[in-house]
Amino acid sequence: MVTTGVGVSTALVKGNIYKPHLMTVLEIRDETPDVRTMRLKFKDPKVAESFDWKPGQFGEFSVFGVGECVFTIANSPTRKGYIECSFKLMGKVTSALRDVEVGQTIGFRGPYGNGFPVDEWEGLNLFFVGGGIGMAALKGLLEYCLDKRQRFGEIFVLNAARTVADLVYKRETDEWAKANGVMLVKAVDPGGETTDWDGKVGLAPNVFEELKPNPKNAVLITCGPPVMIKFMLLAAERLGFQPQQVITTLENKMKCGLGKCGRCNIGPFYVCKDGPVFTAAQLAALPKDF
Amino acid sequence: MTRKLIDAENLGQWVNELIVSGRRVIAPVCENGMTVFKPISRAGAMPAPYNYGKTDLSFKEWLFPKTEPILHYRFDNGDVLLDDPEVEAVETVAFFLRPCDAAALSVLDEVFGRDYDDAFYTVRRRHLTVVGLSCIEPQPECFCPAVGLSPTSEKGSDILLTPLEGRFLVEALTEKGRLLVDEHANLFTDAHGLTKEQVTTQAMTKITRKEPLVGANGGSPYLPFDSEAWEDLARKCLGCGVCAYVCPTCHCFDIVDEATAFSGCRCRNWDSCAFSLFTLHASGHNPRPTQAHRYRQRVMHKFCYFLQTFGQNMCVGCGRCALRCPVNLDIYEVVRALTGR
Amino acid sequence: MFALVGAGKPAPTKTQIADRKGWRPMPRERTKQNWEPKIIAFVCNWCTYVGADAAGTQRMRYAPNVRIIRLPCTGRIDPLFIVKAFEQGADGVIVSGCHPGDCHYVSGNLHARRRFTVFLKLMEFLGLDLHRLSFAWVSATEGAKWVQIVNEVTQQIRQIGPAHRWGEPMNGMRDEGWGMRETAVATEQAPSAPNPQWEARLRELARRLLENGEVGVVVGYATGSLGETTTPAFITKPEDADRLVFNQRCVNNLSVYLTNKMVTKLGKVGIVAKGCDVKSIVGLIQENQVNRGEVIIIGVVCNGVVVNGRLAKKCYACTVRVPHLYDHLVGDAKAPQQPVAKADPRDGEIAQLEQMTPPQRWNYWMAQFERCIRCYACRAVCPLCYCDPCVTDRSRPQWVLTSAHPQGNLAWNIVRAMHLAGRCIGCDECMRVCPFHIRLDLLNRKLATEIKTAFGYEPGIDPTVWPPLTTFRPDDKGEFIR
Repeated sequence: MVTTGVGVSTALVKGNIYKPHLMTVLEIRDETPDVRTMRLKFKDPKVAESFDWKPGQFGEFSVFGVGECVFTIANSPTRKGYIECSFKLMGKVTSALRDVEVGQTIGFRGPYGNGFPVDEWEGLNLFFVGGGIGMAALKGLLEYCLDKRQRFGEIFVLNAARTVADLVYKRETDEWAKANGVMLVKAVDPGGETTDWDGKVGLAPNVFEELKPNPKNAVLITCGPPVMIKFMLLAAERLGFQPQQVITTLENKMKCGLGKCGRCNIGPFYVCKDGPVFTAAQLAALPKDF
Repeated sequence: MTRKLIDAENLGQWVNELIVSGRRVIAPVCENGMTVFKPISRAGAMPAPYNYGKTDLSFKEWLFPKTEPILHYRFDNGDVLLDDPEVEAVETVAFFLRPCDAAALSVLDEVFGRDYDDAFYTVRRRHLTVVGLSCIEPQPECFCPAVGLSPTSEKGSDILLTPLEGRFLVEALTEKGRLLVDEHANLFTDAHGLTKEQVTTQAMTKITRKEPLVGANGGSPYLPFDSEAWEDLARKCLGCGVCAYVCPTCHCFDIVDEATAFSGCRCRNWDSCAFSLFTLHASGHNPRPTQAHRYRQRVMHKFCYFLQTFGQNMCVGCGRCALRCPVNLDIYEVVRALTGR
Repeated sequence: MFALVGAGKPAPTKTQIADRKGWRPMPRERTKQNWEPKIIAFVCNWCTYVGADAAGTQRMRYAPNVRIIRLPCTGRIDPLFIVKAFEQGADGVIVSGCHPGDCHYVSGNLHARRRFTVFLKLMEFLGLDLHRLSFAWVSATEGAKWVQIVNEVTQQIRQIGPAHRWGEPMNGMRDEGWGMRETAVATEQAPSAPNPQWEARLRELARRLLENGEVGVVVGYATGSLGETTTPAFITKPEDADRLVFNQRCVNNLSVYLTNKMVTKLGKVGIVAKGCDVKSIVGLIQENQVNRGEVIIIGVVCNGVVVNGRLAKKCYACTVRVPHLYDHLVGDAKAPQQPVAKADPRDGEIAQLEQMTPPQRWNYWMAQFERCIRCYACRAVCPLCYCDPCVTDRSRPQWVLTSAHPQGNLAWNIVRAMHLAGRCIGCDECMRVCPFHIRLDLLNRKLATEIKTAFGYEPGIDPTVWPPLTTFRPDDKGEFIR
């Protein structure tokens, strides 16, 4: 008699990698007319306890019945107990997410991606250049660096946006500016300024270039819309930054976040798994498919 | 490796006994002018192994269905309750996979198994034993030798059957395969040193498309990413998803939510890089704005990127995409044209 | 000898597993005991809604089973709304608006009358129980009529019972209907090859057009890569004109490329077109997708084309062997061949389906649609499916479910057929490319026949007339409307 090989007919999936954690919305802040930040708490206290991530990693945030969307985790792992995300009203999921109110439930799975290689930056000067909602990817990292201030050299932050109204993290910006050894510059595109605007006026790459940052012993971390990244990389090159000193993130469309669904594939990489953080040197070696 | 012989009658007996033992047997079935893989209740439902060419859809739908729920949820007074879906965990034997279809499984294994274990795929896969069937009559669209396989290659099969003068050479290639043969040992006779070499040689001569599409040492061929030739080659592409959906190795998928006011599910569906929506950002930016970009991605992914990441070629040369393409956009011809042959 | 292991429990089939998973977005399980008909009414804001309101203020009592959805006009009611209602579990749908002549927007209801004439025929052909779908004209003063209609419809639906799951075969009748016999065709013979001199003439013409700069590209056929196939070719250099071929294997309808930007950017297009292809060019001109002055039509006289080794079904009763619109003609215009058959063989198959009971027909179609993998080859290959983006690709709202499950597949196939009603010229490309041989040709042909009967319109002939569903006649028939 043979006893091998007969299994049960169906089984509940164990370890479903697509199953999100349930999150309660703790707080909602409107950054700009179309950018909103949400602070979320894990419903399961055990997960809240154990959940850890690296700055620059992201997650799949979901509105049940509508879908999933990828946002970076916008707070630093040094400030635990909750996670934050900032999103701009764009498509189906973000508009549904705007209808979610404090106390309601959404889904989150993550953290995914490689995150920023912060440990390699010990003692270096850090230049942060963020454009619009691109600041969200830098915020967590910046807060991480500020919380571990003694490990890094000078910190420079350029928070740029199209118009004054589009400038995100106004509250945090003021806090950052007060921190020790931080130089903070705000800039808006020409035409986007108001009469009482006290920051710079100009496109982010130009403003950055005019400030003549010293590339020695430094890392440039930049994030923003594709066109800004393109010109930031050129500006950095002119300023004498080596490609491996320039770090950016790619925002390809993603679905699974796990390196399977194939959507974010660029060359041999899946942005969700091998990225989203890349150095300019790595980008140069990739097919121009982003 | 265990080598045995089995005659046609005992082959049927073997299939029937496997079904009786409680296993699910999936085999090609001809119905309504199509040949598809389906569970069978008796061996007689299978086509004669000599005259069946290739199924219309590859075997992948049994491991990675065209649409499947990956999460259920219920809305309950403002709260959300999550339920895990169920997945078939039934011992399954798949019969008569052509060597190309069997080889494709090792491609899918890489994707769904790496780093994060995709239980929907891997549970089914763990319960699957693959009985391959060598090709003796390759079809005009076939080009497996061009991608380093052959009509009798063993990759991906647990057992390979090769027709030999009215009987079948049975090669149990893995532990799983050996178990199935040993379990029914009385149906098999000794192979007396017979091999499939001659069958391989004969089948190979019937394949017209075998110029290698891989680079030196099995590496990726040089495909010029920036070439303008892509646009000329892909101009006739209409942007449908047939090539990806009939492909045994294409595995890209979409995740969508479908819900009522009471409950819903999150489904994953097959998707194709040929669709403009595949990479379209919500902002309206599309990194691959034209069909030329999208077709390039398909070819480069198959022949270069996948190889660089996983060390194996993603194309198995079954030729279904060329056969089913509404406009006869033939990947074999395209790669040949790009590599200057 | 071999003991039965596993307590004799047979392995579940894929269908059983799918059933057990219960993943369909359907509300709670309903039984006959606790069931009350759930009816969705799509009504016009100006007439029926006011009428229903009047019934209320007059304290008239009627069945509480109807959920009213108010819209500006019946002209705004897309058949997709009805599909969605059924998909979400409605047992019946009522559509009601102003009487002809009373439309607040002059003609919205008259357009709707045409649209629903066709939609009703489509749903009937798919095998929907028409008791579940009612249409009415109810004016603002006809509260009593509204009450009567709601009561009647509710009563009707109560009698026929709860709707079964949308998109799925009815209980116990799974897979039935696939066995429909294909009507015997007049001849199995492949058509004769056109005279080779015409191919030479075609090449010569293409060369000349490219040389004089009259066109930037000639879209034609070249020899394909597999056996006896042809493939679309884009000839931009005079010396490449010899790649062009014309024979009975030139199946593709090339007019799909007239709206393709990667082709039109090459310059003015010269297109090789058979009679049936010219019909779709006419459609594109009619719908302002192609400017007649910006395309050079190279008409070719066609003896019929071969699909799967046989004369294509569309060719049997073809009346446009010599194209009816062209700038240049290749072939003998004076000696067109007679059609091989008087009737299109699909008409016999359609008649067979119509003789079935509605549940049988429903099961026939649901079994067909079940195989759909949503590759959208039918859409991609159709010259008249040029919308960018297609309604299926719109996610806000997601009218058509994108999953390849029964609900999604039925929604897609209804939308495809409806959007081509009155526009499809019957080139059968969708049918040719469908990897699962779903009988899209029967759906298309059925609707074309109904439209010809109802509105006397044949698509693809006259570029100056309006397509039937974009216009109306005051005396259009509407007996199906109460």
